[in-house]
Amino acid sequence: MAEIRAEEETSTISKTFLIKPKLKSKPRTLPQTPESKYWSSFKSTRIPNLVSSISSISFSPSPPHPFAAAYSASVSLFSPLSLSDGDVSPSSTISSFSDVVSSLSFRSDGLLLAASDLSGLIQVFDVKTRTPLRRLRSHTRPVRFVKYPVLDKLHLLSGGDDAVVKFWDVAGENVVLDLMGHKDYVRCADCSPVSSDLFVTGSYDHTVKVWDVRVENSRSVLEVNHGKPVEDVIYLPSGGLIATAGGSSVKIWDLIGGGKMVHSMESHNKTVTSICVGRTRKENCGHKSMEDRILSVGLDGYMKVFDYGNMKITHSMRFPAPLMSVSFSPDCKTRVIGTSNGIIFAGRRKGKENVESGGRGNVLGFENISEPERRVLRPTNFRYFHRGQSEKPVEGDFLVMRNKKIKLAEHDKLLKKFRHKEALVSVLNKNNRENVVAVMEELVTRKKLLKCVSNLDTDELGLLLMFLSKNATMPRYSSLLMGLTKKVIETRAEDIQSSDALKGQIRNLKRSIEEELRIQHSLQEIQGIISPLLRIIAGRR
Amino acid sequence: MMMRGGRSLVSSPPAFSNDAKKLLVCTSNTVSVFSTATGLQITSLEGHTALVTSVVVVPPSSPAAKVLCYCWTASLDGTIRYWDFSVPELMKTIDIRVPIFNMVIPSFLDIPAVDKGKHQDLFAYVFTEDTKETQEKTKALRRQIRKCNLSKSRLVGRLILGETKKPEVLTVSPSGKFFGIRNKCKLHIWKVPDQGSEHAAVRKITLHHTKKITVIAFHPTQRVIAAGDVTGRILTWRGFGNIAFAENQKLINIQEDKPGVRDNDDADSCSTWHWHSAEVNVLSFSSDGAYLYSGGKEGVLVVWQLDTGKKKFLPRIGSPLLYFIDSPDPTLSAISCADNQIHLLKMPSMGILKTISGIKTPCCYPEMCKGLGNGIAFDQTAGLVALRTENYCIQFYSLFDDRGISEVHVCERNHQPGDDVTVIVTAVALSVDGSLMSTSEVKLAEEGIGGLVCLKFWQAGSQNKEFSLSTIVYDPHRDAGISAVTFHPSGNMVVSSSFGGDFKIWRCNNDIIQNDQMHQNFSWTCHAVGSYKKRPMTAAAFSADGSVLAVAAETLITLWNPYKNVLLAVLGETLTPIVNLSFLGKSDNLAAASCGSNPQLSVWSMSKLSLSWSYKLCIEAVASAVDSSSFAALALLPESSNETTFKGRDGVILLYNATNPVPTAIWSVKKAKGGALGFLQVNPSSVEEVDGKTPEVLLAYMSGDHEYVVFDPYCKDAHEVSISQKEGLSSLELKGQGGQYGYASIYGELPEFDKKSPETPWVPSFPSERPWETIFSGSSHNLPPLTKLCSAFLESLLEKRTAAVE
Repeated sequence: MAEIRAEEETSTISKTFLIKPKLKSKPRTLPQTPESKYWSSFKSTRIPNLVSSISSISFSPSPPHPFAAAYSASVSLFSPLSLSDGDVSPSSTISSFSDVVSSLSFRSDGLLLAASDLSGLIQVFDVKTRTPLRRLRSHTRPVRFVKYPVLDKLHLLSGGDDAVVKFWDVAGENVVLDLMGHKDYVRCADCSPVSSDLFVTGSYDHTVKVWDVRVENSRSVLEVNHGKPVEDVIYLPSGGLIATAGGSSVKIWDLIGGGKMVHSMESHNKTVTSICVGRTRKENCGHKSMEDRILSVGLDGYMKVFDYGNMKITHSMRFPAPLMSVSFSPDCKTRVIGTSNGIIFAGRRKGKENVESGGRGNVLGFENISEPERRVLRPTNFRYFHRGQSEKPVEGDFLVMRNKKIKLAEHDKLLKKFRHKEALVSVLNKNNRENVVAVMEELVTRKKLLKCVSNLDTDELGLLLMFLSKNATMPRYSSLLMGLTKKVIETRAEDIQSSDALKGQIRNLKRSIEEELRIQHSLQEIQGIISPLLRIIAGRR
Repeated sequence: MMMRGGRSLVSSPPAFSNDAKKLLVCTSNTVSVFSTATGLQITSLEGHTALVTSVVVVPPSSPAAKVLCYCWTASLDGTIRYWDFSVPELMKTIDIRVPIFNMVIPSFLDIPAVDKGKHQDLFAYVFTEDTKETQEKTKALRRQIRKCNLSKSRLVGRLILGETKKPEVLTVSPSGKFFGIRNKCKLHIWKVPDQGSEHAAVRKITLHHTKKITVIAFHPTQRVIAAGDVTGRILTWRGFGNIAFAENQKLINIQEDKPGVRDNDDADSCSTWHWHSAEVNVLSFSSDGAYLYSGGKEGVLVVWQLDTGKKKFLPRIGSPLLYFIDSPDPTLSAISCADNQIHLLKMPSMGILKTISGIKTPCCYPEMCKGLGNGIAFDQTAGLVALRTENYCIQFYSLFDDRGISEVHVCERNHQPGDDVTVIVTAVALSVDGSLMSTSEVKLAEEGIGGLVCLKFWQAGSQNKEFSLSTIVYDPHRDAGISAVTFHPSGNMVVSSSFGGDFKIWRCNNDIIQNDQMHQNFSWTCHAVGSYKKRPMTAAAFSADGSVLAVAAETLITLWNPYKNVLLAVLGETLTPIVNLSFLGKSDNLAAASCGSNPQLSVWSMSKLSLSWSYKLCIEAVASAVDSSSFAALALLPESSNETTFKGRDGVILLYNATNPVPTAIWSVKKAKGGALGFLQVNPSSVEEVDGKTPEVLLAYMSGDHEYVVFDPYCKDAHEVSISQKEGLSSLELKGQGGQYGYASIYGELPEFDKKSPETPWVPSFPSERPWETIFSGSSHNLPPLTKLCSAFLESLLEKRTAAVE
């Protein structure tokens, strides 16, 4: 239950970043979800011609995570790197078995490999030299599984058709504990990722038992009933949940809650033969995180991906043969499925080589207990500085408005820098009367206008004269501009005489002033006509 | 009753109390105690009879003694007084009978409160003027530094530490070990002798510089002294006095390198910083000695990091800085500015927390604008005075509370001390109820071009004299300057008269814009223009009922009907131009004051249209009460009579009854040039009753440097100073820490909201049948084309003629 609660928590966190649901109607055919895209991105390679059914596949916990497959009376080791190059031949094969190999297990450091066969013998090999280092013989009937504990390098766990689970001291080749309790063949086991003392076994008597080697009387500490002969059992990475496969169902149990069933997945049509934990990448609000899934394979040829956080199947894949075994590499790049007719479907994802090498059974295996972590953005990350910038304000948020930036025109900027002449020239170029007059007024208050005028060069003086000839007679500006015109002509007389262009401007100016004079004359005449009238009116009142 | 106020807060450095909750400010003859939390005056220490020159707060001898509030004050009246300023109570007076320009008490820190058996003496160093020996000695060196035994209440005999021509400021180091003065280009530092006999030899060194030194400051812990000079440089001597002040008197005569030190002075090194463009007035080390504060004429407080020389600034204070005072609270300090403001600063960030706002000093204007009136207007009902300030503002100052209320920024220019003055606020007028204001300003022309005259109309906000601009008129009388602006008693009419020969009557159009809330929008338009023989109009006044407008056309007085703009009568003629016109209350008399070579105060009878009586007096200001027939005139005395009869007083206030040429009362005043007079209406709640009756009106006189006095002109014993009003305020302030202290005490009573007046119906506007009434209002560029204007204009003439026929 703890697992799920944690999942809910993360989902509430993700709620704050909710994206608005789109109003578009959903297309009839569902598009590929990101997750199924992920699962189909494993480029499948067939490894054919292995004699019979692949009974067990195991990945080495140490990079580059080679995997071993047991078929018939031999064990082959494959390198995932050569697989991606298309080389399907095994890198090495161990064939010192007298019977069909039933189960394989790597030690946590990836140096030793334990294998059990149906003759009841368990052998421990050096992976490099492939020589059997220890032979553990105690089982009287075929051994169905052998398992190295995750956190323990010295012991082994095995069980078989004699319904006894044995706990071995590997170095001394002797049995530490005989755990009796199952009433039928013991088919599978898994060791807790959080404790070296806890493990779980599943048997054909429909029960799954949890054992603790510290319990003295060698009885199981917990027992759950799957309802069908149990084919496979695994611990989920938190160590609090287990998943069992039996019949056509996969069930998830809460061990901490006393062996309560959390969910039963019933989507396979035939017997589920093997399950393992896989990881998928989940993208949330821009940052990636890994989430765990249960991969299950069955005799119906389907591989299903089950999201036990949301309790739903997120992907399913069909293979052309009954599937016997499945395994998923700790670096999340290889997924291997063994069939009953001697073919291995090895899927390999492309990607950067140093993707998080987390996953199951990393050197100490501690990563397994960690929650599907969301990486916290740190200030060392570039995206840290962009976080939340695309957020839309939610209703009820308090909006802090940024102060409007005051845009200053060029002449204002120049005035602020006390570059008076340049301000005057720039505003004269802009062809806006009001602004020119305003700048001139400001220059007058700074007592700099005449200095500016005396500093103008010929072209700029031409600009000024053109402006004056156009506007000097405007009644609104005339009080300032007429005085200025006078001063300009007085102070710059020599420059004007030496330049023809300026003389032309002066002619224009003269013309406009003459016109203004004419207007004034006619206005005065009108005034002369009207004022006696006004006098008469005023006298009558 | 009589109230004085408007005194300078910045005549000498203020001092913080030990808990930094109070600020002691020397205000002429008294010491005012302000609360740093509210910026209001709490109480004042009264007793000195001349200008208080120094106030020194006794530092606490132990942390528990922080609440104790004792201070020493020194004054030009020759006394040193010891106060408990929390009560306030005078505890001790030491009369040394020579004026004290400055006093420091360096050795507080060494004094145990009660030494076993023997109480050690407390010494002060005072800067005095030697008044007795003037005959024998050269007059030049009359200012002396003396040592004063405060415990035994006498000067230490015959011990003169130094003599200078002018009184200088004594500066004491925060550790109390040294004190020094500047003397032209030299710097004298004395080491305070250890406790012992009072004649212990005081050792002295001198440091030299090439420029005149203006201010010095001591480092709190190290032997570092900083000095600012007239050119804006800041010099820092490190390790001064290592030889002269060495404890064991051994001569360490090693010739070592002394970078920057002049003339073999006794210092290790001297470094120079230069940022200020003019002289440095403020120099102070921070209490930890890591920073140096400096300031000067630019009105920028500069913080120097002492080790690196990096600078931080507090710009735009707007006035030259005078003093910087650190408080015992590290987050608080105060700067005093030349415009009579004390700003309390929040320290590391240097934000201005509060401002203790004194009355702004009169501003000096170029010659050509003299004689435009003094720019002082009285708000009769609220007891406020509006005066123009140097930074293009109108300051509203409460005469009853003696504090600044608000400032209205009139021109859209920033003021920087030291700038050339190019814009001048020439006139300010307030309506009778104080809700409307009109100002005029002149933008000075540059060699004859670009001058501009502006007339602005303002309306008050709902509270606290926050005025907002309602109308601007550019060049209201062409390019001629405005001589007077006066409000009609009803408030909806203003007359502005100009030297250009015309006057204009402006009417207020009161639009009510109905938004979510009622919003009154005043707009002013020209109602009428009048002129009389093209003579310059020099003064204007409305009669009390508003039916007659009197405009002075130089030497004549013209009377107009302001509504119809009809000339009623012309009164004739004074010798020189009239500068001041005033109707005398409800009576039918008009007072006119003219100045120049033949100054005259004349009273004209309106009923007879003739001169009643006149005096040859140079009148500075005339004020008349609203509802009585008496008026007061401020007359400048002729210079010949000054010395003999009036003891330095250069003006008299004459109170007349309109019909009687004999003044009913005369008061002589100081600094009458540029002064102003105003009658204030009495708000019964604000004034304590004297002899069971409240005075009807009060007369306020403001002198040329903006000190004022408010008194009852009809009371016989008006010279008796009554401070009942002030004590009422102070008790309010003291109580204010706890309970009855809030909105009303800060902002005054809420105005009565008259529900009826906003209910003026909202009239939908429709095109008037008389388009000529509005067609000419507005600025010239909005005018319709001439063809349209002409027909409307002629139509208006036709319409009026028919009215005249009927």
